[in-house]
Amino acid sequence: MNEFIIEKFREYYKNADLDILKPEEREFGIGNKKKIDARHLSFNSIDEFRLYLVSNTPLFTSHSTAYYRYPNETPIERKGWKGADLVFDLDLHADGKYEVYKKLENVKEDAIRLIEEFLIADFGINKKNILLVFSGNRGYHIHVREEEFLELRSDERKEIVDYVQGTGLDYRNFFTREEIPGKKVEKLKGPKPNEDGYRGRFARAVIKKITNDPGSISRIFKNEESQREIFTKGIEGGNWSKTRVEKIIERLEIIAKDLPLKSVETDTGVTQDISKLIRVPNSIHGETGLIAKVVKNIDSFDPLRDSLLKSNGEIKVRFNEDVPELEMGAETLSFKKDEIKEIKDSVAIFFILKGSATII
Amino acid sequence: MNDLDFAVKFPFTEQAKDIIKELGVELNEMTVSKAVERIKSCLGGNGKKSIALHESEKIQEIASYAAARILLGYMQNRYLTNKFAVAESKIMASLLDKQEEINGLEEFFKIKKIEEENKIYLSLPSFLKFAPKSIEYKIINRQLKKGKVLINHREEIRIIEEAIRKYLEKIPRVTNPSQSIKNAETELKELLPKIEPQKMSLQPGDNPPCIEKIMERLVKHENLSHQERFFLGTYLVNRGMKLEKIVSLYENLPDFDERITTYQIEHIIKRGYVAPSCSKILSYGLCCADCRIGNPLNWRSKSPSKAEGPLNWKSRKQDKKESGDNE
Repeated sequence: MNEFIIEKFREYYKNADLDILKPEEREFGIGNKKKIDARHLSFNSIDEFRLYLVSNTPLFTSHSTAYYRYPNETPIERKGWKGADLVFDLDLHADGKYEVYKKLENVKEDAIRLIEEFLIADFGINKKNILLVFSGNRGYHIHVREEEFLELRSDERKEIVDYVQGTGLDYRNFFTREEIPGKKVEKLKGPKPNEDGYRGRFARAVIKKITNDPGSISRIFKNEESQREIFTKGIEGGNWSKTRVEKIIERLEIIAKDLPLKSVETDTGVTQDISKLIRVPNSIHGETGLIAKVVKNIDSFDPLRDSLLKSNGEIKVRFNEDVPELEMGAETLSFKKDEIKEIKDSVAIFFILKGSATII
Repeated sequence: MNDLDFAVKFPFTEQAKDIIKELGVELNEMTVSKAVERIKSCLGGNGKKSIALHESEKIQEIASYAAARILLGYMQNRYLTNKFAVAESKIMASLLDKQEEINGLEEFFKIKKIEEENKIYLSLPSFLKFAPKSIEYKIINRQLKKGKVLINHREEIRIIEEAIRKYLEKIPRVTNPSQSIKNAETELKELLPKIEPQKMSLQPGDNPPCIEKIMERLVKHENLSHQERFFLGTYLVNRGMKLEKIVSLYENLPDFDERITTYQIEHIIKRGYVAPSCSKILSYGLCCADCRIGNPLNWRSKSPSKAEGPLNWKSRKQDKKESGDNE
């Protein structure tokens, strides 16, 4: 690998704020050719691990979500599993090398929803036990370190994933029809906005939609303000019949569809896998040169600005392919094939590792 | 003696261990033969309630449980252990009538209960650990608020039953027991099903992953949920397996009851139930792969000849090419 890049990584690791809870109980993995070339490593302290990173400087470094009695024993059954952080991997796939970076904002929104609506409101997890980390590439990792959740086994974690992804959720079950004495029409009883879990979330989402984008539900709502008001007022009290829009439940399907979190990665089973290795928070992602940064303030966090390594000046690179417009480090960048340009070294690393540029 | 009665009902608890230890109860011939009886009655499917009256009988009762555990630990037979766990946990749960007993067991299993305004909640991790694996216990179908899951009294008992079953299924290995235990092993071995009934004509790979996973659990004598049993039953019926064969397959279940199983499989046949669709399977939480076949029954119909089993992608492409060449 490029000596320049390794040198930048090394310089970063000398002072990096490596945020690892109980490092002595974790298994570590490192990689250069692949994300993990070697695993079953263990370190007694963060300083010992730092020393390793500074002297060996791998492109990728990860640690187990699990805590072990003997983290470097093999095979895994002999490590003495004590528990594992509950980890979620939110990411995004998109066509093209750079498209995905324009959509990171969507993943961020899901990360906020996961934390606020699911982890805190539904699961009762204390905010101080939640660590939000930019993955260094296409999304976010969320590490939950709440005591009671650490000992959950794989099957039990799968239940949590099913919940977050809305597997088996049928919003039509929220409703019951009730006869009103002396009247032909039935009363449609449904969730109120102040309820917990999916029911309340659904009611709140419907009110929001009717207020902001009524036309997407019905033309009646779009054209008649009074209809909107009467309907939402009914919902507040759990009465969903106060509208003349026909087939109202069916029309609300588009809202129910958006309640679960779709970007939670399950193909690779990150959450269920209780001996998974995950990128070390505040280490560098070897495919991008971006820091897998621990996010302190999510609202203002911009991964392509806040996760760059420190720049020591500009270097000259040649682009071997077109790079579409990209907001990076508070600048808008785009490059043409064969273009030679002096750019900040921290930004250059990104394009070199992505295979779009070479140092000249 | 309150503690003694509790220990007789729930002989796995610390109270029971203390009594055995305090009184220095020994593992004699009589205890072992009582243990064998205890296991035998579980094999019948129902187990047996204690009728011990006198203190000495009660202590024998506790000791018979301990001896049964040692015997099972020595035999390491999943079929026996799981039969024992299912039957005993059912009995024990049926004996739970006093609130202090419920609380005592919850404390033993570290089940975190929260009571508010006459409602019972379990902490989410406790619920996830001990709730039965069936659709009505999926958290997506529950009221969930700040890490608390609302349950009712009946469900609370059912969850404790599940905790007992799980506890009893875990059995430490016993290597060199007394001669009487070794003799008891010979006696019990006689009672085990002669031919392991799980022989399947269906080869691995012949069925979709979700079915294979359930079958794997079945042959390991694990306790399947109602949805799993129903799904497997409809699948096998639709695949043309005969009633007797399906019933013999279900013999692997630790709570197998021939009459009920036969009735249910016959019901599937009579009603002509088709196996649930993939989306249903997904909502049951039983889907474990992305096969994109719509219904598990389509797994095989993709192959041109039913006798050949499923084709892999490569050979299907070759088929296409060949038919193209002919045109």
